Amino acid sequence: MNAPPTFESFLLYEGEKKITKEQDTKVPNAAIFTINKEDHTLGNMIRNQLLKDPNVLFAGYKVPHPLEHKFVLRIQTTSDYSPQDALTNAISDLISELALFEERFKEAIKEKKEGLD
Amino acid sequence: MGVPPTVTLEEHKISKNVSRCPTVLDEHWTFKTFKKRCRIAIVRYEDYEIEFDFIGIHPAVANTFRRIMISEVPTVAIEKVHVLNNTSIMQDEVLTHRLGLIPLKADPKLFEFKAEVDAEPREQDTLEFELKVKCMYNKDSNKNSSLAEDMYINNYVYSKHIKWKPIGSQKDKFSEENLGPVHDDILITKMIPGQELDLKLFAIKSNGKDHAKFSPVATAFYRMLPEISLVKEVEGEAAERLQKCFSPGVIGLKKDNGRVIAVVNDARYDFSSRNVYRYDDLKDAVVMRKVQDHFIFTIESVGAIKPDDIFREAINILKDKCTSLLQELNSL
Repeated sequence: MNAPPTFESFLLYEGEKKITKEQDTKVPNAAIFTINKEDHTLGNMIRNQLLKDPNVLFAGYKVPHPLEHKFVLRIQTTSDYSPQDALTNAISDLISELALFEERFKEAIKEKKEGLD
Repeated sequence: MGVPPTVTLEEHKISKNVSRCPTVLDEHWTFKTFKKRCRIAIVRYEDYEIEFDFIGIHPAVANTFRRIMISEVPTVAIEKVHVLNNTSIMQDEVLTHRLGLIPLKADPKLFEFKAEVDAEPREQDTLEFELKVKCMYNKDSNKNSSLAEDMYINNYVYSKHIKWKPIGSQKDKFSEENLGPVHDDILITKMIPGQELDLKLFAIKSNGKDHAKFSPVATAFYRMLPEISLVKEVEGEAAERLQKCFSPGVIGLKKDNGRVIAVVNDARYDFSSRNVYRYDDLKDAVVMRKVQDHFIFTIESVGAIKPDDIFREAINILKDKCTSLLQELNSL
């Protein structure tokens, strides 16, 4: 039938870019990032991390259409900081958070296993 | 650590109680305060199920983990079936769909994703199985019995009838006992003498976004830690009524000088029903709260991957996603 292939939601087509940046011309220091083949899983988490940055004035994301596998992230920052830097910092922070989770989970499992013995 | 951020579940609204100590829900965030508050504690650890407390994280992060565990941690499942013969009453498409849903033991880490859907099966990305069953009369059986299982052989087709056919050098890499179906007793179809099945099954690795059969979990969910406190003394018949308003074990009854008083035993397993609000005399005696940064995760594995490995895998997937995004961003 005419159903789209199921892998469409997570496989990048050839020549398709994972992330594209577009300058927002209406306000200074704002940019719109389009991230392909990602959804609320990453979108919501990144937006939340961005909102914790005091130099970020606005951060929001949307999934424009449920059949298009991408999300759009708009970031506006203060004048001495660029949206791209904000995004880079947010993602780096997330990575260090994840490293912490990994370590804490390992410890917790070890503790539980020792308790069971 | 101070008082954690909570919300109070009132009769007609939910009100916020702002914590005076720094939390993840604050506008400003530093890794240092985060590290101090973040904690993981395993509560229950079984073969197929794990329950753990994930404390000090933002709801967005908790939800990301839940979503990744459900739809992005890959497993191996039967994807293609060549029906050479099927004379059972079950239609080919129904039968093949049922086969796809059978959880397989194969470790997904040892396989590659199939590059092209219709490509020839290779030993790195495909597991081949065979289901060849024929139902016959059981000549040795005692003649008086009219039970199907006494009269026939192979009238029930179970997942244990699925046999592994190694491709290439797979024979040296894997052993049969850690490849087949997780459970031997999954009923696939029923037959009568003369009917037979002859199928070739091809299992590949993929994730839950592709099809739900690839999801490693039956469910993965989280809930916020409930807190219940009694602000007024409740005794006698009212105490028993109060006990019934909550999940079993949450409210206990204490005997004190011949009186029976209600006490909170363990709020953790309360499922936050709002039954107390049916009683005018009880609703002012209880305050129900939820801790906003304390998540109780429950992961129920389908059996292919151990539940703690599912969570570990979820962390790795998220990490890979973030690092690849960071790389792309730097090359922009």
